[in-house]
Amino acid sequence: MASSGNKNINAKLVLLGDVATGKSSLVLRFVKGQFVEFQESTIGAAFFSQTVAVNDATVKFEIWDTAGQERYHSLAPMYYRGAAAAIIVYDITNQASFDRAKKWVQELQAQGNPNMVMALAGNKSDLLDARKVAAEEAQTYAQENGLFFMETSAKTATNVNDVFYEIAKRLPRLQQAPNPSGMVLVDRPADRATGASCCS
Amino acid sequence: MYGGGSSGTQSKRDMAIEYQAQIPILRPSIHARRANMTVKFQDLYGFTVEGNVDDVNVLNDVREKVREQGKVWWELECSKGPNWYLEDSHVFSSFMNGITLKRLIRKGIPPNLRPTVWFSLSGAAKKKSTVPDSYYRDLTSAVEDKITPATKQIDHDLPRTFPGHSWLDTPEGHAALRRVLVGYSFRDSDVGYCQGLNYVAALLLLVMKTEEDAFWMLAVLLENVLVNDCYTSNLSGCHVEQRVFKDLLTKKCPRIAAHLEAMDFDVSLVCTEWFLCLYSKSLPSETTMRIWDVLFYEGAKVLFNVALAVFKMNEEELLRAHHVGDVINVIQRTTHHLFDPDELLTVAFEKLGFMITTNISKQRKKQEPAVMAELDQRVRRLNSLNGDDKQ
Ligand SMILES: Nc1nc2c(ncn2[C@@H]2O[C@H](COP(=O)(O)OP(=O)(O)O)[C@@H](O)[C@H]2O)c(=O)[nH]1
Ligand SMILES: [Mg+2]
Repeated sequence: MASSGNKNINAKLVLLGDVATGKSSLVLRFVKGQFVEFQESTIGAAFFSQTVAVNDATVKFEIWDTAGQERYHSLAPMYYRGAAAAIIVYDITNQASFDRAKKWVQELQAQGNPNMVMALAGNKSDLLDARKVAAEEAQTYAQENGLFFMETSAKTATNVNDVFYEIAKRLPRLQQAPNPSGMVLVDRPADRATGASCCS
Repeated sequence: MYGGGSSGTQSKRDMAIEYQAQIPILRPSIHARRANMTVKFQDLYGFTVEGNVDDVNVLNDVREKVREQGKVWWELECSKGPNWYLEDSHVFSSFMNGITLKRLIRKGIPPNLRPTVWFSLSGAAKKKSTVPDSYYRDLTSAVEDKITPATKQIDHDLPRTFPGHSWLDTPEGHAALRRVLVGYSFRDSDVGYCQGLNYVAALLLLVMKTEEDAFWMLAVLLENVLVNDCYTSNLSGCHVEQRVFKDLLTKKCPRIAAHLEAMDFDVSLVCTEWFLCLYSKSLPSETTMRIWDVLFYEGAKVLFNVALAVFKMNEEELLRAHHVGDVINVIQRTTHHLFDPDELLTVAFEKLGFMITTNISKQRKKQEPAVMAELDQRVRRLNSLNGDDKQ
């Protein structure tokens, strides 16, 4: 959950998405500014933190980069429980990864924190020639589901920091004066049948 | 070092042993000392380690201790005969040997004896002896060209398994690891391939004399040593272990457990990787091997001892932590720098009080239904969501 001190917010953020969509690469790019072809694979999830300054506050992201085959998804609740934000990643060259991303969105909507800020990232935007998922399709889906959408490239760094900054801007600063700086709040129905029952 | 020769695992192994015999004492340069710089060096198993001067000194001490321990084992072989640890013809002597052996093993099996001692004490030798000699050869050649979801995942993971290691990250290393993992995926189709096993198998390859022995160690580990279903469909065995561990932590380290709970920090966030990779990704190699020494002799509860010890060793610092990041940092800083295995194992086996194996088995039985219900519930919830989708 986003917890705010004076103007310092700690925000738990989780990355979800199919294997090899580039979750770890996005995190590495954001946290260390690097891109590495063969990173040691992660088991369960890896933790990172990175601070960004937005407007009048600093947001310290506590990032969980989840990993693993389908069977590892049984561990996911432990990582998204109490998260203030999520980045759901797909690979623009892989239609199946987009379908999987939608399932993650559903799971988060049903189980996650109802105030969670969700971003949909279409990664590997540098591989335009191999594109399988149209940007418009993803944009429409994101709009309908109250997410914001960006195409990113961990390889070229395009839009990577922007996704995190945009999330930081959208985080509700819970105990603070409501919306002092014209902050955009996520547009999502507050009232869902399963919305109140948090994860077990 | 490793893999310098191209004539298969045997030569690699011989070289490794030779290499160990000639390990030079590392002498950090005077500049490194003055500047308190980090230095890079290769450890006993060919991993590149980054550490400061103190770490290097610790590692030198560990090497000395390993040599001493080697002498102890050597003297035992002289007085009791080779393979004395297998002796079970006389109940009395085997009982005495059992006590001696347990103590000895907790102090560490010398690296050059590891392959034989592990192979016999774990039950791998027995397992291998129940099938024809050609089993491994036949298995690997029969499945070599097959493509399955498991083999695809394995191929994806090969270059991501300890990248940069001087032997594992070579075509020869990748090929050996692939044969072991692919072979096993066909031996047990419920497990198939589960990520994490790549790290475990990789270390087994570095220790065992042959690739085939590494395969049998992996088999005995999954089929006999660890709890069932750690690596199958939804990792249910691993979920069970996490719950058992949480209860143990509450009993053995109540202050830490309460503090972390108040912070909303789920210890599974750090323990999952430990239990699935058997510490191979988190600890320096010789420290991991020391844990495996005990694991193969005493069983899976050893993983709990070690996890408890890591928390216990950091009690005061953990109690001062107030953010998830602080907890993770404390834990990772400790585990990555645990170059002295005894520092960890002394706490794990002497400072935590008794942990009775039968109690742990009971706890596992008790947690199983709850885990199954929880996993089931998640699946049903997700299915119903997807159902809504179609309407
Ligand atoms: N061309 C391209 N490749 C990428 C990009 N991001 C990741 N990759 C590659 O995709 C593969 C999977 O990336 P990884 O970060 O490990 O994915 P994860 O499994 O989701 O964590 C790696 O080979 C990366 O080098 C990108 O933006 N562009
Ligand atoms: Mg990853």
